[in-house]
Amino acid sequence: MKINILIAGLLLTATTLFSQVAKPIEMPYVDYPIEAGDHDEVVQQYCLTCHSFGYMLNQGKKSRPYWTGTVAKMVNEFKAPIPKEDQQIIINYFVKHYGYEASSGH
Amino acid sequence: MDQFSRRNFLGAGFILGASTLFGKEAVKPIVTETKAFVPPMIAFPEKKPLKTISDRPPLLESSRDIFTKAITPNDEFFVRWHMPDIPTYIDLNTFRLEVKGSVANALSLSIDDLKSKFEPVEITSVLQCGGNSRKYFSGSGPATHGVQWGHGAMGCALWKGARLKDILNMAGVNATAKYVGVNGLEKPAIDETPKFFREMGIDEALTDELIVAYEMNGEDIPYLNGFPLKLIIPGHFSDSWVKMLSEITVMDEYRKSFFMDVAYTVPDNDCECVISGGDFEYKRKPIAQMKVKSVIGYPTPNSVIKKGSRIKVSGVAFDQGKGIKEVMISLDGGKSWSATELQKDYGKYAYRQWTFAWEPKIKGEYAIMVRAINRIGNIQPLPGDIGWNAGGYQYNAVDVVNVKIV
Repeated sequence: MKINILIAGLLLTATTLFSQVAKPIEMPYVDYPIEAGDHDEVVQQYCLTCHSFGYMLNQGKKSRPYWTGTVAKMVNEFKAPIPKEDQQIIINYFVKHYGYEASSGH
Repeated sequence: MDQFSRRNFLGAGFILGASTLFGKEAVKPIVTETKAFVPPMIAFPEKKPLKTISDRPPLLESSRDIFTKAITPNDEFFVRWHMPDIPTYIDLNTFRLEVKGSVANALSLSIDDLKSKFEPVEITSVLQCGGNSRKYFSGSGPATHGVQWGHGAMGCALWKGARLKDILNMAGVNATAKYVGVNGLEKPAIDETPKFFREMGIDEALTDELIVAYEMNGEDIPYLNGFPLKLIIPGHFSDSWVKMLSEITVMDEYRKSFFMDVAYTVPDNDCECVISGGDFEYKRKPIAQMKVKSVIGYPTPNSVIKKGSRIKVSGVAFDQGKGIKEVMISLDGGKSWSATELQKDYGKYAYRQWTFAWEPKIKGEYAIMVRAINRIGNIQPLPGDIGWNAGGYQYNAVDVVNVKIV
């Protein structure tokens, strides 16, 4: 029924072709690789609620303070509901698999 | 270019460069990724395959070779959304742009209303993410937070739409109005996450050049670039170029928000950079006007070129809307500079394409560098001189491409 209405709409506004609205777009799903272990399921549970794992892979290897700051930003600014102990699990996971131990730096 | 003006060009660089020299902290060694993840090239709706940094929200980066064109094709134009919940269908029969708040008459406008009730205007303008080229900050200082874009989070298009000013005037802005807030249809995954909401002063909103665009390069705006409406703010970073624009709220008071007061902000000082200490110890200001910049579209990094080949080095340059005066090129890592040829002028907010004929005669490694200066004397800093900020915003240092002549 919606399609019929749209076709009528297209005929009425013949000068503009709204090709985009003919049907919903289908977004590709990308299966970004995620290192297994060290409670990756906790990482996936919280982080993937809002964004793909591509965001983390894009950061490259980062220090403990960097990942701690990133998790803090997600909790404090974006209001991710991650309990304290799970925040620590997530930080440890990223330092181990996508970072390095350092007391300062990036 | 004669010797005299070349000296002027470089002299301007030293003077302007000096103010940014203090912007960088002592550089700590950076641990580099040995096995860096390479994002897949995937074709999203209405797009050619682009570097897919993320699928949700979609972050798609254009490849460097688009900078050989003054106008970026729609299907190669970069994509950057903030929130994961984006409608996959817009029904134009029901879609309305709401104009509300401190106005005499709230409006609810269809796309047809925008096309028929307002004078259509066109402007060619660069659209650049505030974090574009962010990854290059790590070449001269500490890595910065945020999506590690190369140069491919920018493009230039011909936008057509209705003036924001005309829309606001139809609604009748109250004398008490001070700010205009804008937002689109993207939504966060959880309610508590700050909404993507941007604000500007009423004076800025009422200037001639801001438009609510419904066309991009002569076509409907591609879905992932914000169909059916996108706010165009020529000369400004794209942070307030709201996609799928659905609400314009006129306000008497400023509304504090994460995306205005925390994200997309830099230190509120002359260099807009960190001189010492931590970034957030500084008073903040939102990034706004773009900074003079040029990038190389051809050749691409690590190209191997046969000695004696006649090649056309080319790229684009732009600024905040003052106009590009000159783009200089160096083929010896910055020791000597020559003028490039500026191509067709598409307007002061557009890319200015530049070209340089080169016939390399000696084998070896070459560092090609380009440096633009605009009509008010703003010049790109050298990579070692750029002021640093923790968010990695506004990167505009001289572009460097290494090639090998064999």
